Amino acid sequence: MTVTEPKPSYKYVGTRPVRHDGLEKVTGRARFAADLNMSGQLHGIVVRSPHAHARIVSIDTSEAEAMPGVKAVIIGDDFPAVEPGHRQYDMCINVIARDKVLYEGHAVAAVAASTRDQAQAAAAAVKVEYDVLPAVLTIDQALAPDAPVLHAHMMTAGANPPAEEPSNISNITRFSGGELDAGFAEADLVIEREFTTQPVHQGYIEPHACVADTGQDGHTTIWCSSQGHFNVRSSTATLLGWETTRIRVIPAEIGGGFGGKTTIYLEPLAVALSAKAGRPVKMVMTRDEVFRATGPAPGTKLRIKLGVQSDGNLVAGDAYLIYTNGAYAGPGGLLGAMTVFESYKIPNFEVEALDVVINTARSAAYRAPAAPLTAYALETMLDELAEELGIDAMDLRLKNAVAEGDPSTMGFPFARIGFVECLEAVRDHPHFTAPLGPNQGRGLAAGYWFNIGESSSATVNLNEDGTATVVTGSPDIGGSRASMALMAAEELGIDPHDIRPVVGDTEAVGFTDITEGSRATFATGMAVVEACRKMVVELRGRAAKMMGADIDDVDWVDGQAVYTGSDGDKDPLSMAAICAKAKRTGGPLTATGSLEAHGAGPGFAVHLCDVEVDQETGVVRVVRYTASQDAGTAIHPSYVEGQIQGGVAQGVGWALNEEYIYDSDGVMENPSFLDYRVPVASDLPMIDAIIVEVPNPAHPYGVRGVGETGIVPPIPAVANAIYDATGCRLRDLPMSPIRVLEAITANGGSNGS
Amino acid sequence: MSRVHVTCTINGDPAEFLCDGGQTLLDALRDEVGLTGAKEGCGTGDCGACSIVMDGRLLCSCLVLAPEAEGTTISTVEGMASGDDLHPLQQCFLEGAALQCGVCTPGFLVAAKALLDRNPDPTETEIRYGLAGNLCRCTGYDKIVRAVQAAAAAINES
Amino acid sequence: MAVSVHLSSNLRGPTGGLAEVEAEGATVGALIDDLDQRYPGLGDALRAGVSVVIDGLLIAHPEYEPLADGAQVYFVPQTAGGS
Repeated sequence: MTVTEPKPSYKYVGTRPVRHDGLEKVTGRARFAADLNMSGQLHGIVVRSPHAHARIVSIDTSEAEAMPGVKAVIIGDDFPAVEPGHRQYDMCINVIARDKVLYEGHAVAAVAASTRDQAQAAAAAVKVEYDVLPAVLTIDQALAPDAPVLHAHMMTAGANPPAEEPSNISNITRFSGGELDAGFAEADLVIEREFTTQPVHQGYIEPHACVADTGQDGHTTIWCSSQGHFNVRSSTATLLGWETTRIRVIPAEIGGGFGGKTTIYLEPLAVALSAKAGRPVKMVMTRDEVFRATGPAPGTKLRIKLGVQSDGNLVAGDAYLIYTNGAYAGPGGLLGAMTVFESYKIPNFEVEALDVVINTARSAAYRAPAAPLTAYALETMLDELAEELGIDAMDLRLKNAVAEGDPSTMGFPFARIGFVECLEAVRDHPHFTAPLGPNQGRGLAAGYWFNIGESSSATVNLNEDGTATVVTGSPDIGGSRASMALMAAEELGIDPHDIRPVVGDTEAVGFTDITEGSRATFATGMAVVEACRKMVVELRGRAAKMMGADIDDVDWVDGQAVYTGSDGDKDPLSMAAICAKAKRTGGPLTATGSLEAHGAGPGFAVHLCDVEVDQETGVVRVVRYTASQDAGTAIHPSYVEGQIQGGVAQGVGWALNEEYIYDSDGVMENPSFLDYRVPVASDLPMIDAIIVEVPNPAHPYGVRGVGETGIVPPIPAVANAIYDATGCRLRDLPMSPIRVLEAITANGGSNGS
Repeated sequence: MSRVHVTCTINGDPAEFLCDGGQTLLDALRDEVGLTGAKEGCGTGDCGACSIVMDGRLLCSCLVLAPEAEGTTISTVEGMASGDDLHPLQQCFLEGAALQCGVCTPGFLVAAKALLDRNPDPTETEIRYGLAGNLCRCTGYDKIVRAVQAAAAAINES
Repeated sequence: MAVSVHLSSNLRGPTGGLAEVEAEGATVGALIDDLDQRYPGLGDALRAGVSVVIDGLLIAHPEYEPLADGAQVYFVPQTAGGS
């Protein structure tokens, strides 16, 4: 760990206790959504479109409804109509298609039956007549002058002059600063490069699953796996046209999300089936459905031009970014535009980013959405510039890295950030100067993500014996319950294992936004701290009553009330002693914290990767990996390391293997973990995580979110390492063996031979 | 379709269940026996989340038909601890923070135990290849491999 | 309250390209109203979904955020996240 400045000496924050939910998870007792079963439950199956783009002419459910065991069949017309312009129009028509299907796998109907086999048979018997339309599958097809338009209402937002005809461009984002032409005129070296990348999947191991039980009173309870159960509630309410109070959502354990479970797919269908059948309905996706119908991250075409002076000063940057967001408007290009030049001082820049729709599944967030791809382009180009100028790649980055006070691409000056410290941590690591073996190469790359705040709530309840329960509304996707307990322990002065951290359902805790944007430990942590601080005031008041003292003469120190007044000595009172007398001093001890968190601190990361390239086969093996990241303050360092290491593994998969492959009709050809190959243990080395701590001034413990930034640098780090090993620049993802081999061959055989 | 009656031994106890002829052993364990520790991540034998040991062999239970369990001896993650005493692998996974979301954890524990049962002192490479049939998307495998190393050391010391 | 307003470049259409303008308001909401008077159309752009940065703090929903005299207010696109 690299600690950059003195910080308070915490008793619990920064320690590594066993996580509270760990025992259930190592014994197989933890209940994920698919592990739940209700008495009398039916099984729901979704009928999905075999076509990438088609008009729905008719749906005939009569045969399916008459089949054995079938209790309910629903189609899009069973839900309230939605019109373009509705706030959640895209979500509504994505969960179940209305007049058109927009990608292969788009839901068109759903069936509930007594057994899964019966439901599957009935789903196959739902007759859907399609008028098949030409499919738009690539960026070039989407932008072609005569391209079929996916959405007749899609007028490009941000177009100048305003769009008059619908198109497949949902949004154009432009940022600029300085004078671009003057900037390039000052440059001694200018390079321009193009990159392409393919959609990839988040690849969480747990498929989407839920159970919905709708009673005759018109209320429903949903148990599900999601990154935000309040969002499940509001989206379900919107789609069904129900009041929020009719829906209770209980979060199950969630088996990975990475952004892909920030939206919803099954829950409204399960509720509607359950309402129609009068029975609980369980729905579990297959892996095939997960690939075809849920969350890929965007594919891109990127063109970037950089100008640099001979001393290494970056002076100009021009970026043209195109992101696909699947079949609906999405934020890929906007986020790419916001991140592409954000890490470096580039006084003259222009960014134009297009968000484009194509006939593939609707994109969902995936860890630092859009940023890994702009980093791939920019960070490999920085390496080219460094080599051409004869400047060390690390020195070039240190020279241009943004620091406190430097303007961001969007104009505001950065608060305290830790980019330079992350660079230095890697530079000073033994890996940086370690010798390389034959056919090996080393790559350096940096990454940035802004992180977000949003709304969070927490309740602290003290129990009769002096232990505490901390309830929050943030689903725990990476160990955040342990972090909540550690922050509460620090505030209350009691052992983390005397605190039970719980994720409360939508009726048990205040509104809380989705676990996304690396916000849980940051923002929900702030709510926990606020609740605990209120509780400490309450405890001092209760203790003052018991001591016969004034509250101002009672301090809270190390988990007990201490008398500091001048009226002789009084024995300190422990939490347990105060709780034992709660009935006599004012009743139950409960405090809440609810807030909209401001000041999510940006996260920076710097990665160093060694690869070994098999010159005969093009196979690339990552043989050593070191990753630094600014965590602000690491509340539970093991899980900060885990976030970094997990991001690295996903980034390496993205770099080397992962991609969606479609046939010419838009049918996905690799919807399994056999053909869509994510990294396994034997593909990776140990990943040395260096936690850098440059405290975020906006958080009581200095926390910055750590969930996302770690996936940003791996792609360029691997690409730069491949170049170092082979002399080949690969500008198309994935850098699969065939591509590497082609590049080596085109380059005249193996490096140095 | 008539149901098939299966008699076997699960986690040391005699067990019986009824299943459909085409049902996977994974579904039978989860839905008929009530052991939901084994998870379905893919249903095609690619992710290892449903790992079990049947007659000494590590298997993906999603690739086994439930009637094939007749007369066999099966171990699942639910059988790893002895009462309140966790298996050293479980203890080391906990202490080493070798799980994040935890959905792959049962499969990893079963596969790691199978590995240590046949190779009590594996190298890092042997651990990585021994667990290559199990996907984890959260951890990057680092802490999982270290936990298996720690557990092997703990078992060999005892 | 006179404050300095900094607009990210995608928001500069109504100001004719000006990056920094002066305006008044006791809260960010009042400031946006004033900006809309001075630069017709800017109010809609700012209410459509922007965040502000004030004193280094990113504030996602700033309508009622109080402003001090002489504050530097940066309007930036609203952000979303993924993990």
